Amino acid sequence: MIKPDKKPKGGYAARRKLFIASFLLPTFILFCIFTIYPLLRGLYLSFFDWSGGSETMNFIGVDNYKELINDEIIPKAIKNDYFLVFWKVILIMLFATFFAVSLTRLKLREHAFYRVVFFFPNIISVAVIGVLWSFIYNPHLGFLNAFLSLFTNKPVETNWLGDASLAMWSLLPPSVWAGIGFYMLLIIASILSIPSSIYEAASIDGAGQWKQFTKVTLPLIWEQFKTSVIHIVITTLNGSFIIVKLMTDGGPDNQTQVLGYYLYQMGFKQYHLSYGATIGVLILVLSIITTLILQRLLRRDPIEM
Amino acid sequence: MNKKLMKKATGGMALLLVAMSLAACGKGSTETAEQPGTQPKQEPQSQTEGEKPKEEANGEAKISGDFEIQYFVGGYGDAWWKEMLGEFQKKYPDLKIKESAGSQINDQMKPRWIQGNPPDVVYIDGAGSNETQMVKDDQLMDITDWVKDASNVDGEKLTDNLIAPPQDYGGKNYTIPLVFGSWGTFYDEALFQEKGWEVPKDWDGFMAVSEQIKTAGIHPYIHTGKYPYYIVGGLLNSGFVSENGDNPQILKDQEAAKEGSFKNDAVANTLNKLVDMRDKGYFDNASFGISHTDSQMLFLQHKDAMIPNGLWLENEMKKDVPSGFKFGFIPSVMQKPGGKFVAIPYTSNIAIAKKAKNPEAAKAFVEFIFTKQAAVRWAELTGALMNVKADLESSSASDVVKTAMKYFNGPDTIVAPVFKLNADLEQAENDATIALLQMKITPEEWMDRMEKAAAKSR
Repeated sequence: MIKPDKKPKGGYAARRKLFIASFLLPTFILFCIFTIYPLLRGLYLSFFDWSGGSETMNFIGVDNYKELINDEIIPKAIKNDYFLVFWKVILIMLFATFFAVSLTRLKLREHAFYRVVFFFPNIISVAVIGVLWSFIYNPHLGFLNAFLSLFTNKPVETNWLGDASLAMWSLLPPSVWAGIGFYMLLIIASILSIPSSIYEAASIDGAGQWKQFTKVTLPLIWEQFKTSVIHIVITTLNGSFIIVKLMTDGGPDNQTQVLGYYLYQMGFKQYHLSYGATIGVLILVLSIITTLILQRLLRRDPIEM
Repeated sequence: MNKKLMKKATGGMALLLVAMSLAACGKGSTETAEQPGTQPKQEPQSQTEGEKPKEEANGEAKISGDFEIQYFVGGYGDAWWKEMLGEFQKKYPDLKIKESAGSQINDQMKPRWIQGNPPDVVYIDGAGSNETQMVKDDQLMDITDWVKDASNVDGEKLTDNLIAPPQDYGGKNYTIPLVFGSWGTFYDEALFQEKGWEVPKDWDGFMAVSEQIKTAGIHPYIHTGKYPYYIVGGLLNSGFVSENGDNPQILKDQEAAKEGSFKNDAVANTLNKLVDMRDKGYFDNASFGISHTDSQMLFLQHKDAMIPNGLWLENEMKKDVPSGFKFGFIPSVMQKPGGKFVAIPYTSNIAIAKKAKNPEAAKAFVEFIFTKQAAVRWAELTGALMNVKADLESSSASDVVKTAMKYFNGPDTIVAPVFKLNADLEQAENDATIALLQMKITPEEWMDRMEKAAAKSR
C-alpha cells in the first residue's frame, strides 16, 4: 500500500521542535553558564577595582583601561604574542601540510605508523612538554647543550631560556612540536576526501608531485587550511600562557611576557583581578580583530568538487 | 510500528545521556573534602553553622560550639597539625573541630573568604596566600590589644617566647608568625674543607674566596633566575641593612613604600657590590631562566659553590643530597669586615579571621600551640624552626637549623624585623634585579624603577 504524502499531523511540528530543543537546550545552558557568563562578568569586573580576595569592590569606571594604555609591559606582551602567532602558523602549517601530503600522496608503506608517531606529542599533556623542554634547555645538564658540545671544543653553555635574545625563539620548538599532529590529521582528512580521479587525470596530463600539490591539493583543501590557520591564531593568543608559565614565568624581566601570562600574573600573583579582567578584554578584542583580518586575507572562492 | 518504537527508544536514551552529563554538576556538593569548590554556593552547606559559644558571666569563656581551622599542607607536612588538634580536642571535648587542609587549600577556600564566611583560624602559607594582602582586604582580626596580654597554656606570656614578634602593620597586629626561618648563603662544608677555602665572614672574605673558587674551575655563585626573590632575600636585603649602618629600618621603610627607601646610599652601595660580583664573573650564567630546584641540583652537584636560599633547603633536597655533602649556612655576606651578620627572616603566619564565628575558641587554640613543647615537636616533625625560643640541642632537628639557631641567639647577628613587600613592589624588585644582573640596566635605573613602583603603590 502506498502511503500518502505525510501531512504534518497536529502535534508533529511541535514534537519535532521539542525533540530538537531537548538536545540543544542542555548544551546551550552549559554554554551560557561556562562561556557567556564568565565573559560578561569579566567585562563587568574590568570596570571595578578588586583584588580577587576581598569582599568589596570599588567602581572605578575606565581607570583600568587608562592604566592598560599606559602600561609599558603590554606592548612587549602583544609583540611577543604576535611573534609566537606568526611563527607558529608558518611552521606548524609547513610541517603539518608536508607530513600530511607525505603520508597520503607519496604512497609510503608505513604511513599508519608515522601518523601515530607524529600525532603523539599532541596526546602528551602540555605540562609534561613544558617541563621536558625546560630540562632539554638546561644550560649545564640539558640535552641540547650536551648534543651541541659534541661538535665544539669548549662545552656549549648557552642559556636558552635565560638569554633575552634567545628566550622567545626557544619557546617555539615545544609549541610547534606539540601542535603539528592535530593539524596534520585535519589536512590528511581533507586530502583523503579529494577524489583520486582528479589526481589520476593530473598525472596523465604529465603533472609531477609538486605541480599536483600546488594545482590540485592546495586549492581543494583551502577551506581546511584556512580553518587551521585561524584555529592556531586563536589558541596561541589564549593558550601561550601555559608554555610561558612552565618555562620562563614571563622573564627575564618581562622579555617573554605574553598577554595570557600577564593576565594570570596581574590577577592571581599581584592581586589585581580586575586589571586581569581588563587584559582579558584586550585579548578578546585582539583575537576578534585578527580573526576578521585573516578571514578577509585568506578568502578564496570555494571550489565545488 | 517497531520502527517508531525504536526511534523513540533511541531518542530517549540519547536524552538520558545528555541529562546524565548534567547530573555530574550537581553531585559536587556532597564531597567537599577533596574537590575544589567550583561553585561557591556548595561550600556553606558542608561548613557547620557556628553557634555562639556560651560565655560565663565571670569572663571565663566556655570553649564549645564549632571551630574551623584552615591550614596549608606543604613541605612541613600535616603531622604536627594533626597532633596539636588532637590534643586540643582532648582538652575541649565539647568543641566540634573541623579541619580544612590540603596543598591547594588557599584556592579552595578563597570563595568562602570572598563571601565573608571564613574559618576561625587560618595558617597563611603556600601558593595563593599573602598575609599582607589579607590585611589589606580587611579579612583578619585586629589582635593588637589581645596579644599584648595573652599567655599560653603554660602560663607564660605569649610574646615573651617569640623569636619574631607579631608583624607590625602601621602600629597594629593581625598575625603571629608561627614558622621562623631565615634567608642566607648556603655552601658545602665538606667541599670548602677539602679545597681549603675559608668560609667568608664578611664581604672582603666573600670576594676573596669567590676568586679562589673561580680559579679552581667551579662557579662561585648560582641563584634561580626564574624566582629572583631568592637572591633579593638571600643577598640583597641583608646588604641593605649592613650598608644602612646595621639599621634594619630601611626594610620597614621599603615595606611601607616610603619615598626614598629605594633610592639612597645604602641601596646604591649594595647594588654596586652586586655589580662588582657580576663584572668579576662570579655568577653562573646558567642562573637566568632556571627554577629553584634546577639551581639547587647544580649546587648539590658541585657545579656551583654557593647559593642564596632559606632554611627549608636541606629538607627540600633531602632525597637528592649526595653522600658526604654537609650543608653550611651563613646568614649574610655583605657586611664590612668586623660588621655584624644580618639575618633576614621569613615567617609563615597564623591569624584569626575578622569574621570568625567562634573567636574564643580561636584565641584558645593560639594560646594552646605557642608553647615550648609544641616548638620542639615542630622541629622534630618538620625539621624547621617554630617561632618560639626553645632549646633544640636535644631534639632531632636538622644540623643546619641548629647552626642557624646559634647565629640567632648569638651577639654577632642582627635579626631583622619580619617584613614583606606588597606583590607589585616584589614583582618590580624581581624584574629590576634580573635586568641589573643581565647588564640591561644600571644601578641608577634600578633605583629609579623601584621608586616609580613605590610611588605607584602609595
